[in-house]
Amino acid sequence: MIKSRANNPLAAAGFLLPNILGFLVFTAGPLVFSLAVSFTNWNVQRTIPFRVSGSENYTELLHDKQFWIFFINTVYLMLGLPFCIAGSLFLAVLLNQRLRGMVAYRTLFYLPSFTSGVALMILWKALYSPDFGPINALLDWCLQALRINDLLQALGFHALSPPQWLASTDNLLGLVPQEIRISGGKFGMGAREALIIMGVWIAIGGNNMLLYLAALTNVPQELVEAAQIDGASRWKVFRHVTWPQLAPTTFFIVVMSFIGSLQGGFDQARVMTNGGPSGTTTTLAYYIYTKAFEEFQIGYASAVAWILFTVIFVITLINWKFGQKELSY
Amino acid sequence: MKWLFVGAFAVLVLLSCVAWSLRPAPAVAGKIPLQWVSDDNPARREQIALFNRLNPQYELRLDPNNIGMEKVIVQSIAGVGPDLFDCYDGFQLSAYARSGIAWDITDRLKEYIDFEKDVWSADFPNFILDGHAYGFPTNACTNAIWFNKDVLEANGIPFPSGPWTWDEFLQVAQKLTVREGRRVKRFGLLCDWWNWRQFVIQWGGDVYSSDGMRCVIDSPQAVAGIQFLHDLMYKYKVMPTPAEEAAMATAGGWGSGTITFFADAKGAMALGGRWWLCTLRTVQQNKKEKGERFRLGAVECPHGPFRVFRGYGRATLVNKNSPRREQALEFIKYEAGRPYNDMVNHQADALGPVKSYCYTPGYLHDPDYPEEDFNAVWRDIMQYSVPDYNSPFVNGQAASRILDRQLDLIKSDEKPVAEALRIAAQEVNEEIQKTLQRDPELRARYDELMRKKR
Repeated sequence: MIKSRANNPLAAAGFLLPNILGFLVFTAGPLVFSLAVSFTNWNVQRTIPFRVSGSENYTELLHDKQFWIFFINTVYLMLGLPFCIAGSLFLAVLLNQRLRGMVAYRTLFYLPSFTSGVALMILWKALYSPDFGPINALLDWCLQALRINDLLQALGFHALSPPQWLASTDNLLGLVPQEIRISGGKFGMGAREALIIMGVWIAIGGNNMLLYLAALTNVPQELVEAAQIDGASRWKVFRHVTWPQLAPTTFFIVVMSFIGSLQGGFDQARVMTNGGPSGTTTTLAYYIYTKAFEEFQIGYASAVAWILFTVIFVITLINWKFGQKELSY
Repeated sequence: MKWLFVGAFAVLVLLSCVAWSLRPAPAVAGKIPLQWVSDDNPARREQIALFNRLNPQYELRLDPNNIGMEKVIVQSIAGVGPDLFDCYDGFQLSAYARSGIAWDITDRLKEYIDFEKDVWSADFPNFILDGHAYGFPTNACTNAIWFNKDVLEANGIPFPSGPWTWDEFLQVAQKLTVREGRRVKRFGLLCDWWNWRQFVIQWGGDVYSSDGMRCVIDSPQAVAGIQFLHDLMYKYKVMPTPAEEAAMATAGGWGSGTITFFADAKGAMALGGRWWLCTLRTVQQNKKEKGERFRLGAVECPHGPFRVFRGYGRATLVNKNSPRREQALEFIKYEAGRPYNDMVNHQADALGPVKSYCYTPGYLHDPDYPEEDFNAVWRDIMQYSVPDYNSPFVNGQAASRILDRQLDLIKSDEKPVAEALRIAAQEVNEEIQKTLQRDPELRARYDELMRKKR
């Protein structure tokens, strides 16, 4: 039986062909095409004669201030990554208990992942409304109930007010909009933080949580029980038994999260902020879109895409090189 | 597992049947189908219905799903574009023409209309490029001040009449602005930020030099104009700041948008076009049914040192690559005719594109809307309207993004006006130089202008 299957290469090719063709036409082909285009001045507008421009796009890109500003935005929005990963793990540990209705809890926490992203973003836009959104209403209430502003003023500090969220360019690092420098005057919570918080909320209950859940079920119970018999506390069991067992999953999640974050930010920019205020939520992915489909500089946009690919590739290599050392299982 | 696959297959078949049933119906036999990419609203549907009635050999259909310059260009180049599509400004026209999808119909148009004389000049940048016409205007507009008669009356303020200055306007607006603690109950003025160009031209400035070779948004006149707009929010406090606007958007269930804020009496006056009536008439009707009053008035927009107003509109262009482009010209002819113009004026979808059809008794006093006593205002101020002038030497989208980034900072009071506009001008001028490096045709035009200047 096995022999007859092995001797039927045509049938095998027939089964593989659709997938291979699809890959060639829709993935590999455009990939190679975009690489080739990045070395040209291709522009949809017909008045610009097509020519091979060599490394011109890449050189221009390195001197493009906006590229660097948007690169910083992209990296800044990745500040939420540790919270996403830690949150997913925490949630997975909670959902790994043997409790009644656990399937329902798991489904509830996974809801943001299969709800329409646009709908979620519109919802968050309303939540972030500076004066009437529930987030600022809660912050306002906290400031008043805990008399924080009275205390601050008594100590000679300025009173606090809830952030303007999506309308503000303030940020936790004090980055000045449209410039590559830091200023104390810009310190605060603004549009970038709003997107980070929303991203963490969406990601915590997403695929990372599922991966951790699967990994947790694979932790050998005999190791856990042995540690417990030796008198290890729950924290120590987690720290010295469970966590090392989760290392391969964590490594995979970290690598995939880095890749996803560097490629991300398009939906949020398109739906919630249009890349503003003052370009503070424009990421490289959104920049590629505007260059290609609004300004029609397809060659330049392809160059940005390939630089982004290179950055992702290098970061993944670094992750791989240093992350592997931590993988003892 | 077998049943899972069978079930999935059955669901897919079912979904395919649903998709099949939802597909657009084929054109009626013997009729030539035409596709128009435009926004979907009741006015547009009526305009299409009238065309189909007057031209029974055609079946014009609306395609509201493919709006967006990038979509139209990419689809048209790929050979699956619409027959007709809308163009909103000079940026877009330039992109459509340079992409080779806008059809030059200058000679054909001249057969039935002297468009340079008969059409509102506010519309020119939307369909005329370098002396060539690529379509025909759909409507035309200049903003005036809408006011809520009931609010003004309740505050003992006489209805304003133009012409008037911004200083005179401020006195009224400040009286009408009502604050309650930190929050504002009603603003004296509601104004979309995208009207900033109006303030620039009223103070004698412009975005580009008259030859389009330089961005001059940092001129003292432009700075003064934008500074005044900024001061309306932060100094005189008669207009909502972005934060206050965002706050209003989620209060009261009105949704966002200056028109809806105005309809909800969150502003006593608002800077807007005649096309607002399409929505405001419905609001009036709804309020009337509830026994509430909402009487409208309109007056010429206040002016700065110069009595000029920003003119704008829309145009319909013909797809050069369409196999039915000859037939699509019938729609252009229809837009230049009386039935279409009368309908636009009646619908209040701004003003009809042909001037003479706005000088009819029916326009001035529409028997269906006898309380609308302000129609002369829109027509009269069109004479003072100035269309947006954009440089041909820079991609409009790129320039507009640069300007918006700095204007955002002004709007949110994060950067002094002069500094933000200086940076904006500098960056747009850099973008002009980059564009010239990329485009030899533009470079030649630029150099030619430079030679003439010397």
